[in-house]
Amino acid sequence: MSEIILNGRKVKVRKGEFLLAVARREGIEIPTLCQHDAVEPAGACRLCLVEVTRPEWEGWSKLVTSCLFPAEDGLIVSTDSAPVHKTRKGILELLMARSPNAVPVRELARQYGIEQCPYPVQHDGDNCILCDICTRVCQNLVTGAISRIDRGVGKRVATPFAEPSTDCVGCLACAKSCPTAAIPYEDEGLRRTIWGKTFEVASCAGCGAPTVTAEQAAWIEQSKGVSREDQLVCDRCKAQKTAAAYQKLAW
Amino acid sequence: MVSKLMHVTPSKCTVCRNCELACAFSHMHGGKPTAARIRAFADDQQREGHHAVVVCMQCEEAGCVKACPAHALWRNPETGAIYHVEARCIRCQSCVAGCPFGNMRWEAAMEFPTKCDLCDGDPVCVKFCPTGALEHR
Repeated sequence: MSEIILNGRKVKVRKGEFLLAVARREGIEIPTLCQHDAVEPAGACRLCLVEVTRPEWEGWSKLVTSCLFPAEDGLIVSTDSAPVHKTRKGILELLMARSPNAVPVRELARQYGIEQCPYPVQHDGDNCILCDICTRVCQNLVTGAISRIDRGVGKRVATPFAEPSTDCVGCLACAKSCPTAAIPYEDEGLRRTIWGKTFEVASCAGCGAPTVTAEQAAWIEQSKGVSREDQLVCDRCKAQKTAAAYQKLAW
Repeated sequence: MVSKLMHVTPSKCTVCRNCELACAFSHMHGGKPTAARIRAFADDQQREGHHAVVVCMQCEEAGCVKACPAHALWRNPETGAIYHVEARCIRCQSCVAGCPFGNMRWEAAMEFPTKCDLCDGDPVCVKFCPTGALEHR
């Protein structure tokens, strides 16, 4: 067990634990936009900055992303010091200039007292703040159909060459884990469109309700070993079948 | 480790749907019985003693756990219940597709799957079952 000083308080930490996790456990709030428990941290949004120092640094300190900085013995951490607050505010001003319509960005900007953004605001800018949650989710947990493409101001998230991808299974995990709802999709009845590809959602064999896309069912069967037959029936019809089995078992 | 399990006795069920209501209220679905994580099914021919209640069996080798790509479903070793961890969920619906018994539900309004967590070891539905068709032992 090592010990750090977090906002003036001694806190026990496990080896290799990241500062953000320690702070959350201790009930200290640090704003983040790119953190998702299902994937490894990436330090993409930079909002979780904290100030760290050590006694032997003789008054010098540095700003680090707490989601990626391991808690080491003897570290002194401040999560809301003046430099942290100032830098975080600066990052939020940049995010506000890029994605002024993204709800969580606006909410944080309001909390940090940003009334007027000092940079030219892209009023019709899209909500994507390049936090990489969608690409990390897709690459590490699903099929890896999307990534960042292009560089500089043109950098964005898309399928390769922004063309309909053969890898995409239409699970919508990217769109639904996006913190700023930046990924457009349509999901009406048995039709689903995302990343320029239209999927047909398989209808339940019992009642016709939408289940998953045939592509997703094939992927789950292949990668997780769950039979496709079970997948293409809706939960209610499956439960009804289970009930019928109980009744048969009882008599 | 053998934990307590839910036991359903169809011959005792009268489809009063108290279990559904108890579940819907205790899990903050606003008391909407269609959102309950337990379901009572009446017999097609309305025969007395032929009704059944379907609730998650917390399978040893669970389809939902197997299908989840994000490891958002894990078993609490104390209660034996499989929990759905919202913070890890990527909302791909694989678990709903993966459960062969229909006990992973998709809560469309919240865009989240829901499942029985045995109310942390003390299921509320069991307390509200007037006939003893539901037992936790």
